[in-house]
Amino acid sequence: MAKEQMGEISSIDVRGEICPYPMMKTNEELDKNQEYLSILDVLTDHPPALSTIPPQALKRGFDVDIEEVSAGEWRIRLTKIN
Amino acid sequence: MNIPVEKEASKASPLSLLVPRSMQTRMGFLVLISTALIGLFVSQNQSVVAAVWVIANVFGFTLQRSRFCFASAFRDLFLFGSGHNMKGIIVGIGVSTIGFAAIMSWIVPNTNSGTLPSEAHILPVGISVIVGGIVFGIGMVIAGGCVSGSLYRMAEGYVASWITIGGVILGLAALTMTWNWWWDFTISTEPKIWLPSSTNLGYTGGVAVTLIGLILIYLLVIYRENATGIFTPDIATKKRPAQDFQSRIRNTLDPVFKKGWNVALGGATLGVLGIVLYTIHMPLGVTGELMRASQLGLGWTGLDVPVLNGLADLGGCTGISDDKGLITHTFAITVGLLPGALMGALFAGEFKLRLPNNWRRYVQSLGGGLLMGYAAGLAVGCTVGALFSAIPSLSLSGWVFGIALAVGAFTGTQVIKRIH
Repeated sequence: MAKEQMGEISSIDVRGEICPYPMMKTNEELDKNQEYLSILDVLTDHPPALSTIPPQALKRGFDVDIEEVSAGEWRIRLTKIN
Repeated sequence: MNIPVEKEASKASPLSLLVPRSMQTRMGFLVLISTALIGLFVSQNQSVVAAVWVIANVFGFTLQRSRFCFASAFRDLFLFGSGHNMKGIIVGIGVSTIGFAAIMSWIVPNTNSGTLPSEAHILPVGISVIVGGIVFGIGMVIAGGCVSGSLYRMAEGYVASWITIGGVILGLAALTMTWNWWWDFTISTEPKIWLPSSTNLGYTGGVAVTLIGLILIYLLVIYRENATGIFTPDIATKKRPAQDFQSRIRNTLDPVFKKGWNVALGGATLGVLGIVLYTIHMPLGVTGELMRASQLGLGWTGLDVPVLNGLADLGGCTGISDDKGLITHTFAITVGLLPGALMGALFAGEFKLRLPNNWRRYVQSLGGGLLMGYAAGLAVGCTVGALFSAIPSLSLSGWVFGIALAVGAFTGTQVIKRIH
């Protein structure tokens, strides 16, 4: 049911934050409105977050796509797996 | 779906300094040439120090590329049930253990002769290492990185890590002023327990016990990951099809210079570097030079700096060194990792001046650094010297320090959960 109403696209900017905060804030965001969220974009400049966030997102049913937006900054796009 | 989020977001970056990718590569080559020239210059008079410098460059490069993080290894087990970094550490210690045993058996063939292998990190076991481990564990979790982690992040452009290292030096100065109290209270009576002789195990037994211990911890980490339902995903990164010569070259270089290394590969590389370094001089350790810096700073303050009892006979990261002048062995290891990590970041295009927006992070960096500095002085080493180099030295102190670190890291996670 929720699948039909979803489509909420959200983004968080965690640049400047180091471990574990990028991951903690992403998890909080995912857990807060897991039902309606379809895409969450996480903007980070902390390379370790690229390997720590994906397992947490997959565990919560989100697919991961990493894109480098500029030198030293990445957008991690988490898309709900239908 | 194409949502132009990134464009808007990139604009709102007042507190950051981005360096374009192409410039980063050029700067990387500049650092490479500079560090090679420094190595050549040093080799004129001190060939061993020059070799240590080069190894330290590779050490820093490896830390940066594999994003090696002792703080995360302990913290994430408790916070998220993730054993990612811990597995890398265990692999690295395992690799080092075998090499260290070979070197030590060459230095001290008969383990019952009553002598300990010189330069091995066999440290006293007692209250000091337990208190040191717990306080260090709390400090590294609060600061978001241990001493080696903060050092390579300094080079990657993390301003908070500069504050952390400043805190470590201040913490070491505080330890210097109180060292003699700790010495009289506990350290002077603490035994150095070396598995091959103290427990009569010999090298074979010592190595066997160490490897079995490591395997058991590895299983414990997997058990914890299973209990929390975490798994390491296979991230399908978009691969450029190798069409022409240039992109084929890029596909060959990218796994080394662009993509983050597998943490087990990073750990194993560090383990091998530890062996190589011990072969030519002494095991890896980064706190010794910071100790020297803090002593130098104390000298300038005009304070009445006490003569540190017993430290000269302890081994490990005491900062005491026979060579004079600025460029010593400890200088080469600690400072030498900086250009290595900087090269790693520049060639990957990951360098960026990073300034936290949240003021609490600066307080955390300084506070965590102070705790780590004091604790590393007390335990005569940090996660590198008192753990990563101590367990392969077949020293019981490494295990005690590791367990105490876990207790401290657990305490630290309770603290940071409450700081947002």
